[in-house]
Amino acid sequence: MSTREFRDVRALSIAPDAQQMIEVARSEGIETVWDRLAAQQPQCGYCALGVSCRNCAMGPCRIDPFGAGPQKGVCGADADVIVARNLGRTIAAGSSAHSDHGRDILEVFAATAHGETTGYRITDEAKLMRLAAELGIATESRTTTAVAVELADLLMENYGTRRAALSFVERTPKVRQDLWDTLGVTPRGIDRESVEMLHRTHMGVDNDYVNILLHGLRTSLADGWGGSMIATELSDVMFGTPTPVVSTVNLGTLKPDMVNIALHGHNPMLSDVIVQAAEDPELIARAHELGAAGINLVGLCCTGNELLMRRGVPMAGNHLMQELAITTGALEAMVVDYQCIMPSVTDVAKCYHTVVISTSDKAKFPGAVHMSFDPSRGMEIGKDIVRRGVEAFADRNPSRVRIPVEPVQLMAGFSVEAILGALGGTPAPLVEAIADGRIRGAVGVVGCNNPKLTQDYGHVTLTRRLIENDILVLVTGCSAVANGKAGQMMPAAAAMAGPGLRATCEALGIPPVLHMGSCVDNTRILVLAAALANHLGVDISQLPLAGAAPEWYSEKAVAIGTYVVASGITTVLGVEPPIFGSRNVTGLLAGGLDDVVGAKFAVEADPEKAAVIIRRHIEAKRAALGLPALDLDAITAAVATA
Amino acid sequence: MKLVFVNPERCIGCLQCEFACAVEHSSSKSGTTAWAEEPVPRSRVHVDPGPVMGTSYPSRCRHCDPAPCQQVCPTSAITRDVEQDLVLVDPETCISCAMCAMVCPFDALTFHPVGVGAQMRTVAVKCDGCIDRVRRGETPACVEACKVGALVFGELNDLVAEGRLRGSGAVLAAVTAAEAGEDAVAEGPVATWRSWGAAASRVESAATTVGGGSR
Repeated sequence: MSTREFRDVRALSIAPDAQQMIEVARSEGIETVWDRLAAQQPQCGYCALGVSCRNCAMGPCRIDPFGAGPQKGVCGADADVIVARNLGRTIAAGSSAHSDHGRDILEVFAATAHGETTGYRITDEAKLMRLAAELGIATESRTTTAVAVELADLLMENYGTRRAALSFVERTPKVRQDLWDTLGVTPRGIDRESVEMLHRTHMGVDNDYVNILLHGLRTSLADGWGGSMIATELSDVMFGTPTPVVSTVNLGTLKPDMVNIALHGHNPMLSDVIVQAAEDPELIARAHELGAAGINLVGLCCTGNELLMRRGVPMAGNHLMQELAITTGALEAMVVDYQCIMPSVTDVAKCYHTVVISTSDKAKFPGAVHMSFDPSRGMEIGKDIVRRGVEAFADRNPSRVRIPVEPVQLMAGFSVEAILGALGGTPAPLVEAIADGRIRGAVGVVGCNNPKLTQDYGHVTLTRRLIENDILVLVTGCSAVANGKAGQMMPAAAAMAGPGLRATCEALGIPPVLHMGSCVDNTRILVLAAALANHLGVDISQLPLAGAAPEWYSEKAVAIGTYVVASGITTVLGVEPPIFGSRNVTGLLAGGLDDVVGAKFAVEADPEKAAVIIRRHIEAKRAALGLPALDLDAITAAVATA
Repeated sequence: MKLVFVNPERCIGCLQCEFACAVEHSSSKSGTTAWAEEPVPRSRVHVDPGPVMGTSYPSRCRHCDPAPCQQVCPTSAITRDVEQDLVLVDPETCISCAMCAMVCPFDALTFHPVGVGAQMRTVAVKCDGCIDRVRRGETPACVEACKVGALVFGELNDLVAEGRLRGSGAVLAAVTAAEAGEDAVAEGPVATWRSWGAAASRVESAATTVGGGSR
């Protein structure tokens, strides 16, 4: 295959554990994501610009971006229509992924309310009651069960076609709701918007790129204020609303003398039961019998974030660490649910004693052991899965165990409830700190890893520059793991922040980078933004906020970026989305959209430059609100001379 | 002598070589922004459809020696880089008379604007063999982009030998088909191979006539 020389590992990742394990994989001839990316070079230029279409059998078609070749597909679609259709379908796929995750949680919640599950319960009854009251369900002198059943019914209706607007749209400022109504982008049904997008992008339906993009906003809003938000809220009700917790992160969380089981994927539904199952004395006794000191659970990706947030389970790594966790030779089992689990993990596992256990009937992996998850027998299946991992310890080859680093501490667990709790129950102290300029604003640094960029460099560098300049950073997903590994998420990291943010963090005992959860938990950032806007009586788009996805890769990230922008928060992407083949679509998303929803997209791969873009944006928003603001050109000049 | 060799039966018409060529000959060298440059960079490799649907041929300058285009150029704008053995056009001295295009056996020259601002003018544009890349020890952009081995870069005789080994099967199949009285031009890669061979012969005889050549 590829005869390329290996690139210096320092160009692939800034994380020492990743660098060391990539070297190990190379020395053992194990193929990783970076090798496959090299083999794919150069990647298709038409697809990268978004001008290829394979939606029908008159095609496939592509537009020649250089103008010499065809400018229309067989059906007559030009670059604008093709790019908009492709983007629309990407948003629909991302929105569907989050929303189907939300539906799975909702179904287990409903079954639990009906007493049909084992291993589940209503953990946060107060939150259940708060949610029910917020959504107009009577709670007065009613049983938890009755309220839960009615809430489940209402939220199931949010997935259908019977509503004019999703329930959680009410959380946004009235002015934003009116804007969405005027634009015709108020999300009505979670499934409906994705299905309608697939319809509209069928040949010969929506042939107006602006109209397609507007429905793209609506489809993403059905995720952000619908499917993802339901996933977050009901996970809190069932598994507990996160509160600040200190844990550890990186491949050093794997223990050489223990049975190591990694929980990988996105849905806390099964993994939360596994955490309970791993405490079973019989299973621990069996681990001892096999010579292990105990059972060590670690997280990977967002399943890991869910468990870290609520139970303090150590985090082994983010997206690009999944293959490398296996190459430590110390992993007995990788239990996967769905999303972002590379098909390659079973290939890497074949080189070791690691058992890959798939658990969702939606996500099967050739080479894995499939143990179908059934919430009515949750605990029993959880124990079976852990047992499988424990037994694999007998097959471990101790001479191949290489755990590269010592773990680093991080603080997680910052739900909106926890943040407001730290502030004394109201956003007022945060609003005051922002108003007087001690804190300039807040930025959600979120999203994935992408092997096209040096792993974690974008997340860590951008976050560092922002906190240095008194901007509070909220992280989720892979970004949280990257920042945790870099030591930027303990209260002591306040010393890295600018004087205003530092003082605030030290007074509250919190880090300057707050872990808000998994990628569906980006909705916590939306809720916090809406709460700030409502507190001030302004629209979300007027606040000194921004979003950033420095290393995004997935369709889900496109849905997130779009709902964040559609909610009024300008977002900077670190990887170019496949839209540049259309001048009109690019112009709209990077410019014209600002006049429509009060926010837009920017693309900047260099996190140093992205920090400048964001700082300028935040100061401009401050100035517009009449708050003390820095001179925009002074920011750029200061960075240029530094 | 190293050059780019074409295996037409392997071409799937993906146009990746055209894209990579245009980007390589842009100022930004970026696949994201090259198309927005003024003048728009143009591909110098041309994937033309074959006689049968689903077939295609990535045609580019063969860097002939002697090169008919070089022989007829009235302003000596076309020269040969001896070190890399590549035929190059100097846009400064080209007068766009199109004599080169008339005599090119492969119709590899096209005419497009180059330069910036007031200096911008239309001149003969053709494959430069990615001379900068080749000097750096890299393969030409079109070859790097080709995922199916339709464009390969290497020593001419090595590539011919490779093709001989691969082609022998096709020749035997074609001969067998002809003996069996089948219509060999009906379909499939063998048919493609044969029609390409016939076309190449026609081009060769035409070139000999035009160049008055002795090759």
